[in-house]
Amino acid sequence: MFCDWLGYAPADLAGTRRLQDLLSMGGRIFHQTHWAPLLRMQGSVSEVKLELVHADGTRLPMVLNAVRRPHAGGYVHDIAAFVARDRDRYEQELLLSRKRLEELHAVTRDRAQFAEQMIGIVSHDLRNPLGTIRIAAEVLAGVGDKTCDRVAPRIVRAVERANRLISELLDFAQARVGSGLAVSIAPVDVHRAAAQIVDDLQGAHPTRRLVHQATGPGDCELDENRLSQLIGNLVGNAVAYGAAATPITVVTAVTDDAVAVSVHNLGAPIPPAIIGGIFEPMTRGTTEHSQARSVGLGLYIVREIAKAHGGRASVTSTADAGTTFTVAMPRRRAVTEPAPP
Amino acid sequence: MTVQHRNNVHVEGDGPATMFFAHGFGCDQNMWRLLAPVYSQRFRTVRFDLTGSGASDLTAYDPVKYDSLHGYAEDINEIVAEFGRGPSLFVGHSVSAMIGMLANVAKPERYAAQIMIGPSPCYINDGAYVGGFNRGDIDGLLSTLESNYLGWSSTMAPVIMGTPERPDLSMELTNSFCRTDPAIAKQFARVTFLSDVRATLPELAAPTLILQCSDDVIAPVAVGTYMHRVLPRSTLTIIENVGHCPHLSSPSSSAAAIDAFLASEGF
Repeated sequence: MFCDWLGYAPADLAGTRRLQDLLSMGGRIFHQTHWAPLLRMQGSVSEVKLELVHADGTRLPMVLNAVRRPHAGGYVHDIAAFVARDRDRYEQELLLSRKRLEELHAVTRDRAQFAEQMIGIVSHDLRNPLGTIRIAAEVLAGVGDKTCDRVAPRIVRAVERANRLISELLDFAQARVGSGLAVSIAPVDVHRAAAQIVDDLQGAHPTRRLVHQATGPGDCELDENRLSQLIGNLVGNAVAYGAAATPITVVTAVTDDAVAVSVHNLGAPIPPAIIGGIFEPMTRGTTEHSQARSVGLGLYIVREIAKAHGGRASVTSTADAGTTFTVAMPRRRAVTEPAPP
Repeated sequence: MTVQHRNNVHVEGDGPATMFFAHGFGCDQNMWRLLAPVYSQRFRTVRFDLTGSGASDLTAYDPVKYDSLHGYAEDINEIVAEFGRGPSLFVGHSVSAMIGMLANVAKPERYAAQIMIGPSPCYINDGAYVGGFNRGDIDGLLSTLESNYLGWSSTMAPVIMGTPERPDLSMELTNSFCRTDPAIAKQFARVTFLSDVRATLPELAAPTLILQCSDDVIAPVAVGTYMHRVLPRSTLTIIENVGHCPHLSSPSSSAAAIDAFLASEGF
């Protein structure tokens, strides 16, 4: 049978050819570097796939198993061989698919890097002219002209909005195609920090009443700047979409091992059709709202901030109870970071 | 990370010199199980796994560093610096004979002699030079490696299997001697079989034993005679052996050849 597979008459092989003489050159190297040492050291080799060369020069893939046993003062090798054409074809297909995937992966990675670089460069380069516009607007405000007094604050507000958008775009690029949103976690009193943030936001939104409530101890480990961004985004949404003349409540609640930050407003609930994807980028609460203040990255960034802290963001929204966004995070930094080398 | 941990270094015996044993492409330091104990009676012996092979620290495998034999040679010099006492005698099998030569040429003051088992400075035929292989053969080896993981798996659990007929191995892992991360094995194969260090041979000043097998497909006798001609201070000894691993298949004739060489160098 073995001779038939390889196109030899038994007399061509018996006593004249060694197994390695029938192997392809690559197989002979493998035979010397792996097969032979294994057979000597552990007395057996199993499931090795090698190509044997047919008498007509074609290659025949085979799976070989060998056992070395003492015999008449020396050793003999018992070898079990079977043809593995199908396995070989299957492997070739798998290897080919892997190669294609690797190529595709490389292309995708390059594109993502390019997109991230583009956003980074554009965002950075936009900040410089915006800085100039802002300074010019402040100069105009000091001229004492009536028209200037009216226009200059609008320019400043527009510049602030543009700067916020750029920050969001940078965060978006980092979270979406880059290495994830960067956070720098440090000990902080979350109640005191939130009170300060809410106070600042009250100044920015003088027409709405902001309330801060704190429960539990305050000491936590999180990124205070990201906390400010998180509350700012959620309060911004509450101002934009909540019922006017109702208060907006910011709650920081700390338990033994968790910290929850939530922002509540009354008003029309988020439509069921969009609530499921509300944290996805480029999603908006309503389309007709002219005061919408961003391209729809705010909640996406809230979710990414939660993720970067090892937590999650969620929302509940009903006509009666209003809308509550909650970010729940571990109170202490998880100790899953790799140990320093 | 210590050198000891990175290269799974084992030291045995004591004596006036330190003998280092470096395994070749394919398996690990277990290849020296028959030869090294002979010398731990007379010398301090040091066995180790090349980074990426055997039980070395795979996290230390840097594909950029180990993309040339020089990366391995750096490791050798670190091992020799840390574990050498007295003069160093370097025993390298196959590709490690050449890695040892590169290490020696970089720090010649550390080495008293080189012992090369089945060495080849270039595996590919090149004009009049006969290395034994052409480029297509090496590609064939690379695809053979892709089909043979020898039990390696990324989720490898240490499965201990007994081998009743070999009680000395019962506590070791079956197939583990040749088990390597497939990506590392492929790169090491490419680095090994596509290397060409012929230009460095004339720079090796140390006395060198070329231990050649009479029938070795990996390192044909022609390669041994070439090296003997080009190396400044070499002894060529051809022993009757079929195959590439005389330290496993003919340990006593290998030891006899090494002993004669060491005696001629005063060890």
